[in-house]
Amino acid sequence: MKKIFFILMLPAVLFTACSKELDINPTQSVNEDFVFSTDANIKAALNGAYDVVSSADLEGGNLQLYAELLGANGEISWVGTFNEPDEIFNKSIITTNSFVRDTWSAAYRAINICNNIIANINVVNEGDRDRVKGEALFLRGLMYFELVKLYGKPYSAGNAATNLGVQIVTVPTVNGEITEVQNVARSTVAQTYEQVISDLSSSKNLMGEDIGVYAGKYTAAAILSRVYLQMGDYTKARDEANDVIENAGAGLEELYSKAFNNTSPSAEDIFVLPVTAQDGANDLHTYWSIADFGARDGDVEINQNHFDLYDAADARLALFYDYGGGYVYSGKWLQQYKYIPLVRLAEMYLTRAEANFRLGTATGAAALADVNMVHERAGLPALTALTLDDIILERHLELAHEGQRIHDIKRLKQTADGFAYDANELVFPIPQRDVDAVGPSILVQNPGY
Amino acid sequence: MRKIASITLVLVLCTCSFVLAQTTITGKVTDSKSGDAVANASIQVKGTSIGTTTDAAGSYRLTLPQDAALLQVSSVGYTSKEVSVAGPVVNVLLVSSGTKNLDEIVVVGYGTKIKKDLTGNIAKVKGSDVQNMPVSNFNQALQGRAAGVFVEANNGKVGEGVKILIRGSGSISASNSPLYVIDGVPISTSTGSGNALADINFNDVESFDILKDASAAAIYGSRAANGVVLITTKKGRMGKTSFQVNTQYGFNKPTHLRGFLNAQEFVDLLREAAINSDNIDGVDPLDPGQYSGSWLQFAERRLTRYSGWSDWRTLQTNTNWEKLAFNDDASTAAVDISASGGTDKTKFYTSLSYTKQDGILIGNTFKRFSARLNLEQAVSEKFKLGINMAISQSTSGRVPNDNEFSTPMQIVALSPITPLRDLDGNVYNSPTTTYSNPYVDFVDGKYKSVTYRNIGNVFGQFNFTPSLFFRSEFGVDIQNQNDDQFYGFNTTYGDGSNGYGQSDWFKGLDYNLNNYLTYKKKSGLNHDIEAVLGMSYQKYNTVFANVFGEQFPVEQLQKLASAGVIKGGTSRESNSSFLSYFARANYKYNNKFLLSLSGRIDGSSVFGADSRFGFFPAVSAGWIISEENFLANSGFLSFLKLRGSWGLTGNADGFGEFAHLGLWSGSSYNGTGGLVSTQLANPDLRWEKSNQVDIGIDFGFLKNRISGEIDFYRRKTDDLIYNVPVTSSAGYTNKIVNIGAMENKGIEIVLNSDNIITRSFKWSTNLNISINRNKVLKLDGDQTTIPGNDGRYLNSLIVGESIGVFYGPKYAGVDPDNGDALFFLPDGKTTTNSYNDAGNFVVGNPNPKLIAGFGNTLNYKGVELSFLFQGVFGNQVQNGAGGFMTAGFDWFDNQTRDQLNRWQKPGDITDVPQLRLGGYGSDGIQASSRYIYDADYIRLKNITLAYNLPSSVLRHVKLSTAKLYITGVNLLTITDYPGWDPEVNTDYRAGNRNQGSDFYAAPQIKNISVGLNIGF
Repeated sequence: MKKIFFILMLPAVLFTACSKELDINPTQSVNEDFVFSTDANIKAALNGAYDVVSSADLEGGNLQLYAELLGANGEISWVGTFNEPDEIFNKSIITTNSFVRDTWSAAYRAINICNNIIANINVVNEGDRDRVKGEALFLRGLMYFELVKLYGKPYSAGNAATNLGVQIVTVPTVNGEITEVQNVARSTVAQTYEQVISDLSSSKNLMGEDIGVYAGKYTAAAILSRVYLQMGDYTKARDEANDVIENAGAGLEELYSKAFNNTSPSAEDIFVLPVTAQDGANDLHTYWSIADFGARDGDVEINQNHFDLYDAADARLALFYDYGGGYVYSGKWLQQYKYIPLVRLAEMYLTRAEANFRLGTATGAAALADVNMVHERAGLPALTALTLDDIILERHLELAHEGQRIHDIKRLKQTADGFAYDANELVFPIPQRDVDAVGPSILVQNPGY
Repeated sequence: MRKIASITLVLVLCTCSFVLAQTTITGKVTDSKSGDAVANASIQVKGTSIGTTTDAAGSYRLTLPQDAALLQVSSVGYTSKEVSVAGPVVNVLLVSSGTKNLDEIVVVGYGTKIKKDLTGNIAKVKGSDVQNMPVSNFNQALQGRAAGVFVEANNGKVGEGVKILIRGSGSISASNSPLYVIDGVPISTSTGSGNALADINFNDVESFDILKDASAAAIYGSRAANGVVLITTKKGRMGKTSFQVNTQYGFNKPTHLRGFLNAQEFVDLLREAAINSDNIDGVDPLDPGQYSGSWLQFAERRLTRYSGWSDWRTLQTNTNWEKLAFNDDASTAAVDISASGGTDKTKFYTSLSYTKQDGILIGNTFKRFSARLNLEQAVSEKFKLGINMAISQSTSGRVPNDNEFSTPMQIVALSPITPLRDLDGNVYNSPTTTYSNPYVDFVDGKYKSVTYRNIGNVFGQFNFTPSLFFRSEFGVDIQNQNDDQFYGFNTTYGDGSNGYGQSDWFKGLDYNLNNYLTYKKKSGLNHDIEAVLGMSYQKYNTVFANVFGEQFPVEQLQKLASAGVIKGGTSRESNSSFLSYFARANYKYNNKFLLSLSGRIDGSSVFGADSRFGFFPAVSAGWIISEENFLANSGFLSFLKLRGSWGLTGNADGFGEFAHLGLWSGSSYNGTGGLVSTQLANPDLRWEKSNQVDIGIDFGFLKNRISGEIDFYRRKTDDLIYNVPVTSSAGYTNKIVNIGAMENKGIEIVLNSDNIITRSFKWSTNLNISINRNKVLKLDGDQTTIPGNDGRYLNSLIVGESIGVFYGPKYAGVDPDNGDALFFLPDGKTTTNSYNDAGNFVVGNPNPKLIAGFGNTLNYKGVELSFLFQGVFGNQVQNGAGGFMTAGFDWFDNQTRDQLNRWQKPGDITDVPQLRLGGYGSDGIQASSRYIYDADYIRLKNITLAYNLPSSVLRHVKLSTAKLYITGVNLLTITDYPGWDPEVNTDYRAGNRNQGSDFYAAPQIKNISVGLNIGF
């Protein structure tokens, strides 16, 4: 009898015991409220922002790849099988190109993390608050700069006040709420540059002196020098570059080859991404290296047109290697688990030299001396006289295949594979999925697409 | 309570009183017309509970009480009969009642019903119909056998993904798979790799009952929006223990090879493509002065590189790479042994099975050992308990997903001028091969997956009174899977890192508790009542961990213990749970009027606290018109039933366990942990709800020699869950929301006919036809289109169209003047050679309009021929690899043979653009209708020719049955689809919206096997 009673009671007992079983929490994720509740969590989010910025879609390789493919000028060829880089190389990009789409969304993902950090900055311990805020501002400014360079007409094209830049969002997305703040129209090129300068300048004032894999005062200065160079503001470009050279504590490596394939920051790295077997993406290696080094099939080949630019004695030539059969690749990205330099001191010398030369000044050093710093390091005899073309060529060779090519072409109003520097074809389309999500009347597509 | 106990006592005493003097009789029960043995017929001593059932040969043995005089003999489909005990041997002839189909027992959720009394739509497939079919997954065996059930294997890889849709797609982002329930335990379909359903030995299955309409399925509430497949395994029966042994051996081949350019064509066309590109650049590469730096020079250097040791100019090598993707010696083998039997107290079924299937692709294998024990013990008159338990070990040699360079089918991209091996006998790899050679991964890599699976339950059932019982079931589904991968020094993964090894561990635990009370009462002549009330709790837990490393000292040391560098690893866990309460009442009046009501309250952990519970009711009714007097005497119309149902079901599977939360996850930068945003919150997320109405007619003519069903249904899903694209500027790309509505409308027709029944020759036919029209009714807000053009595929969501229609540029052929690919502008009339200017149109639909199955069984004196045709009509497939393989030598991939019809000179009329190396101008290789093809097909799914040895022979060798058979699967496919196989949905992207995509997907497997089946 008791048994039967027990059997009948069993379900009743189970009914009540089970209700709690519906409360299950995730094991691999945490709720957004929790992230911005403590000092340590926000610092972890800042490290996460670096992780996104260093991903393959962004500084981990694709931003550099795009700049080189757009500015190929017969010096390099995309010979890989992926259609998306091929479209970029051919300047016939379709609006659904998934690389173009993913770079756009990855940049905004980083920006939103930074916006969250900045909005909750008061939770951070007072002693670290400036640094954390500064780094978040730096990464946000860097992302807007990368976006406007690719998705907007170049600053040098004029009409910066009317040409469209990118969508600017400076508040965090929380509670899943997406409003007009996010579904915003594109700012102009000028407005986007203002945002970039505002973020980077503020960050410069907030961050400390240390540079390397995390941003500091001089990392911001180095990026600012690039921003001003794009804008043709040589005075400010010179001053920022000068600030880096004078104060960052970096020095050129003795050998050019030592600046690449390192497992720690080199002496001349102003900003460098760590890549190890454990973490960090290196898509420069993926596309520029070959299968023998674990990469794809040598998707980017270096052509004779490029080598024609060098003096035969140039030590920088030694970094290229022949795979047999006349296929030559850049050795800068030979190995996978090597740090990726984003800004090297050599660039600062060349920026200061170009700006000084154009302005007729000698801030920090004479242009000739700066160019020779780089020129002689390449094993070449010092130049005795200097033209602007010499400086531009030195920059072209020194920074070859590091992701600066198309941006130099655009600011110098040169041509790329027959396209004028301000041609529609040299500007990425706004990803179709975003145009569809926001609406084509608000998120206006670029001309030519 | 006390009363119940005393009744029990009386019953027990009664049982004892019969154990007095006894005699034993034997006999055989046969069909009066055909002379066939009637298995499972019930023989009962009239007025007692003493009885037995006949075995497969129709024989029985029964011990009688002393004064027994009359036996009651009954069997499904026969008129019951009383015979007197006239001696020690009592043979019985039974007369067919013509209601065999109608009296069939159909399994419903938490109970059974006879088919005649059904008010919902349930398709039943008997285990015996698919027994010994040489496929690895029971879903493939069900293909074409049930109306409204669409089965499609992703590709021809063995033991991998198979889609099953019951009455169309009900959801965009949530699961579209039915719920699978084995002996009352909802099983898990999630797994680490491969297909979790391939672990099930379907030779143990007695029946598959597929609950299609909402009233049949609603008892499973939120789990049932996509239908329910109830799998009932074989149970033991009282009587002598019988054994069944089956052995089988066969061969596997691909259904079709598509063919690529040979060496001569490859060289000719590639050079032509290079010259064309040069000409566009204004270069004449045939002029020696202009050759340097030309595309032709570039191409010829590549030809030299790809030729390895041989000379492409003299066409020394002509490798058919496509053939190398396939295993020439693929075979299948199976051995099954089962035994079943029992006493009046204990009944058992047990089996042991081994099956091996080599995939048709190199490196793809599947093996399964399984064992089962189903045991039921009557503890007392009132209480019985039992266990149904199966264990299995599945071992697979896996091949990478279709989009990986190392998957065997991507070998077709390699040049026919490349020899397989160098002069030292080593398999050539990149850079001699155009891409990494998958054959190297086959020779020098391995991917082995071993899964241990234990599905089973224990149950107890207590009968309070003859009309009230309580049943409690506790079921588990435990999965332990280990995937071990090793890629040697020359492989894609292992090159540059001295080998790559990875070990993955997956553990799945799914447990389930069901408690329910059932009340059954027939009061008077006219009232039948059945009621069920119960609860169910289910919890799913999965754990995944892996570790991977590089730098192995030698290739022979393949475990990670030997890795010089442990590169990384991870572990993950996920949990979800359901808590449900359910009730159902069935009422039958006068054997004519049927009514059924059910309701279920489901709580799911995947929703926020405020939207966690959902209520899912259903109602259905039926009227057996043929029981009415005005039809009772119709000689022609023997059965007619009208039924209708409405029900609400829900869906909470398939979109993650925490879709409503705003989530951040771990990441790492500079060796330090970080947090990154991963999911946008949606606190309002709620159940997808599906409303279904079904109206059906069941009919039988000529004493039910011809019978069938016609059903009309409409299923409307509201609050569709979809990962809607949002502006990237929010920092997220998608948000999971309840956005809209979708409907499926359709007609299902089932016809069964016993065309000829004579003593020596029988012929029966069955036909099922299903028409389903899927339509998206509403999307988010005012949005009417979510375009899906991702550069390679076009599956989109458009209001008014079916889910996943191809929406994108419409190919307009080739400009006869210059060979450019043309597309239609948005006006649909004028053409452009600019892809970006092209208009977007609905250019195809991956959802079939009609599916059908047509089966025949013919018997002549022990020779049996059965065959099943299966067809899919009105759908299209897009070849996502068209931009590589049908691309006019945009790059060096070998091309499909249709490229021979390319445009060559002004005035040429063709739809293949000019060949241009390097993607010059408009070569039409983007995603468009150019790569969309009709994919209708008719397939001879299964054909079996069997010979049953006559009983005169069997008696000498002491066997009860012996059958020798030859069977074939997919022996014939009729289709216009130009690719490998029209039954395809490439594995790496298969989903609800992403249908009808081909991307180097392996063709389906064609099998021919011989087997022997004996019983004793």
